[in-house]
Amino acid sequence: MNFDIFLMNGYGVYVWASFLFTFLICLFLFLKTKKTLRKLEKDFVEEAQSLSDEQLQDLKKQKVAKEILISHSRT
Amino acid sequence: MIKFLNPSYLFRLTGKLLNFLKAFIIPIVVLGIIFSLFVSPKDYVQGDAVRIMYVHVPSAWISLLSFAIISFLCILNFIFKFKSVNLIYKSLAPIGLTFNVIAIITGSLWGQPTWGTWWAWDARLTSMLILMFFYIIFIFSYKFILNPERSIKVCTSISVLGLINLIIVKYSVDWWPTLHQPSSINIGRETMVHFSMLIPLGLMLFAFFMYGALIFLMKYRVETIRLKRKGLKKL
Repeated sequence: MNFDIFLMNGYGVYVWASFLFTFLICLFLFLKTKKTLRKLEKDFVEEAQSLSDEQLQDLKKQKVAKEILISHSRT
Repeated sequence: MIKFLNPSYLFRLTGKLLNFLKAFIIPIVVLGIIFSLFVSPKDYVQGDAVRIMYVHVPSAWISLLSFAIISFLCILNFIFKFKSVNLIYKSLAPIGLTFNVIAIITGSLWGQPTWGTWWAWDARLTSMLILMFFYIIFIFSYKFILNPERSIKVCTSISVLGLINLIIVKYSVDWWPTLHQPSSINIGRETMVHFSMLIPLGLMLFAFFMYGALIFLMKYRVETIRLKRKGLKKL
């Protein structure tokens, strides 16, 4: 097997480390943001469910709140 | 413009754009990586080490652009008090910081084989490090200053000071003798990078932009839900 593509004449360690670091930090930020978003959506829905029917109807009139409730029900 | 600053319009738009970005980001990233690591040629001086450019340069550009946008939005918010502007800059700052850290670390990994050192206190590197501190102070300011009026004032002050540093980052290689090379790609002037290297650079820049947009939309939703939860308690 030809390892030249990975070794890159001795520069491989720097090149692969750069790409790997970039990939990992991007993946970390993505997963962390996704987790926070899911948790906040879940908490919002739970808090909305604890409201009275009248309050819930008022809440559903708000476009953003309605969108959060719909997007959470899809997941 | 006003329509785009409407929180409910923006929130609904984020939902649609998120699905679009999720569908296209992976193929673009894979294509960018293939071109950067395997298709693009070696540099005649730096050899394969030049491939670090494909992650280092787009990260640095996005980091600088993010701070410029943040500064513009802070000034806009300070003057006109637009409702959702703070949601936008709060969503943008962590992305800018992430790309700034990537630019510094990959720059260090590029510096060792080409300059023979991981770090040098030269003008470009130091001003990029200062930009990272500006990002950190900015994020801490909106997280820990609870009074909205005071938060806007502090964030605007930091962003204006950071804007001065941004100019220093840009022109540091022209104003001072530095280890860092001058700009190879210039708008309106001759570009010194060969076309075969511009393709992977463009692809990676596009991929990073898409990633940045994806995180921005997710963060925007996070900030909006946080705001709505406060309203929920008042019902």
